[in-house]
Amino acid sequence: MTLFTTGADSLKVVAIGALQVVAVFAFAPLLTGIMRKVKARTQKRIGASVFQPYYEISKLWSKDEVVSDYSSWVFRSAPWVVALATITAALFIPVFVPFSPFSAAGDVLLVIGLLALARFFTMLAGIDAASAFGGIGTSREMMISSLVEPGLFLTIFVVSLTLGGTDLTSLVGAAARSGVVIAPSMLFGLISFFIIILAETGRLPFDNPATHLELTMVHEAMVLEYSGRSLALIEWSQSTKQLVLLALLANLFLPLGMPTSIDVGLLPLGLGALAVLAKVALISVLVAYVETRVAKWRLFRVPDLLTVAIASAMVGMIFFYL
Amino acid sequence: MQVPLSEVLTLSSVALLVSTFGVVVRRGFAGWLSAYRYQSVVLAGSTAVIAYATGLWEIYAAAILTLVVKAIVIPRLLVRVTESVKDEFKIEANPYVSIRLSLLISALLVALSYGVIHETLISANLDVYALTYLPVSVSLFFIGLFVMVSRRMALNQVVGLLIIENGLFLFTTALTQGVSLIIEVGILADILVGVMISALLLLRMSQTFDSFDMVSLESLKDD
Repeated sequence: MTLFTTGADSLKVVAIGALQVVAVFAFAPLLTGIMRKVKARTQKRIGASVFQPYYEISKLWSKDEVVSDYSSWVFRSAPWVVALATITAALFIPVFVPFSPFSAAGDVLLVIGLLALARFFTMLAGIDAASAFGGIGTSREMMISSLVEPGLFLTIFVVSLTLGGTDLTSLVGAAARSGVVIAPSMLFGLISFFIIILAETGRLPFDNPATHLELTMVHEAMVLEYSGRSLALIEWSQSTKQLVLLALLANLFLPLGMPTSIDVGLLPLGLGALAVLAKVALISVLVAYVETRVAKWRLFRVPDLLTVAIASAMVGMIFFYL
Repeated sequence: MQVPLSEVLTLSSVALLVSTFGVVVRRGFAGWLSAYRYQSVVLAGSTAVIAYATGLWEIYAAAILTLVVKAIVIPRLLVRVTESVKDEFKIEANPYVSIRLSLLISALLVALSYGVIHETLISANLDVYALTYLPVSVSLFFIGLFVMVSRRMALNQVVGLLIIENGLFLFTTALTQGVSLIIEVGILADILVGVMISALLLLRMSQTFDSFDMVSLESLKDD
């Protein structure tokens, strides 16, 4: 960050970065609430208020926890590892402003590593309590996540080749500078990234976030044993992950309204943040519509959809090299 | 707002490729037909773009004909013919090459056709339409051919043939900017008759064998 020479400026930048992270945590449950509300309305239900996830988290936070006698320290520490890994990942991602506080320390690959760490501990916790459901959920999650990986990496290659570099702050800045690009490689990248986000955040047709039916749940099966404060942590980190991934989609592929760098003044930054919020809300409405339209796919058809993501990213690579 | 021509061309070629992938990834007849219909609409749109840029009314006529025949008449015809067939025969349950593998192969075929076109035609002084659409049309051709050889269902062969035809139409339109309208009409009539004949064959096949599986054609019947 050589842009900021004076002390006052760098202080301001740090303040904006910190504010961004706080805003991410504050808005993440709201996004989940919006998705649930839209889904309910498209299914002709009234649905709970969009603030329901906040009530749930605050209620869970003050409740007692039940921990199985047969579980080890892994079970007890997993929610904290998951939450910390997600928070750290959020610090690397430019969500509302084209700047992230930790951007100098790591790039998009590190973010993926952190999210993978969170997922790894969720899976460990799923097996640790030794319930049958946890095992089912974990094996399914392992299968899906190992198939998501190649598509995700190909998509990242497409994006970093097209926009230059793997550093997220400069990527988002480059996307904002180029405006609405109709580059074929980015269009194919957008398709595969959307499918991958559906898989990563456990939405339909990969996983039904609203179910507790033993045959269909994936993520819910892994966290079935959790209660109280641990469950609150896990749900909050899941919402946060969803928000940062959707914001990344909006910032990289639909950069309309995003200021090109952090030092354009407070008003454009605020407007840009509002634009990001609006775009993320729109995308989440779209995801909720998709969820209403499709049924959960049979587990062994899930690779088909992930192959679509891989093939699409491959075609994106081809278009880049032309 | 002035939209640059090259971006419209790029968008339409991406849409064409996506619809072709739609045919590859779907398992059911309805899915193939809707992907084909979507592809034909995009094809008519890109023909109209060429017409707008060159200002030739014959290409407009070709675009409208494409829209009417390929997006409306042919899908309706195929749906009508297969109405009496049971739904379980309209699903590609057991292709020679699995759906996932054929998706990846299709992506490689797109790469191949772009490579071939850029190797052979880059020196040949082409305009922007030819440069954008020729690789797409070649990949439509390849993917259609691949769909035909890798699937068992007779319905899928028809759809593969139609994709190949779309590719050829795009090829001629992009390269020559409109052969004469008579020839276009002739080709379209040809396709229509071809689809009718294949529909007839499909109907006979479903009556005789009670399935659309190509394998059942290979065994000799003694009656």
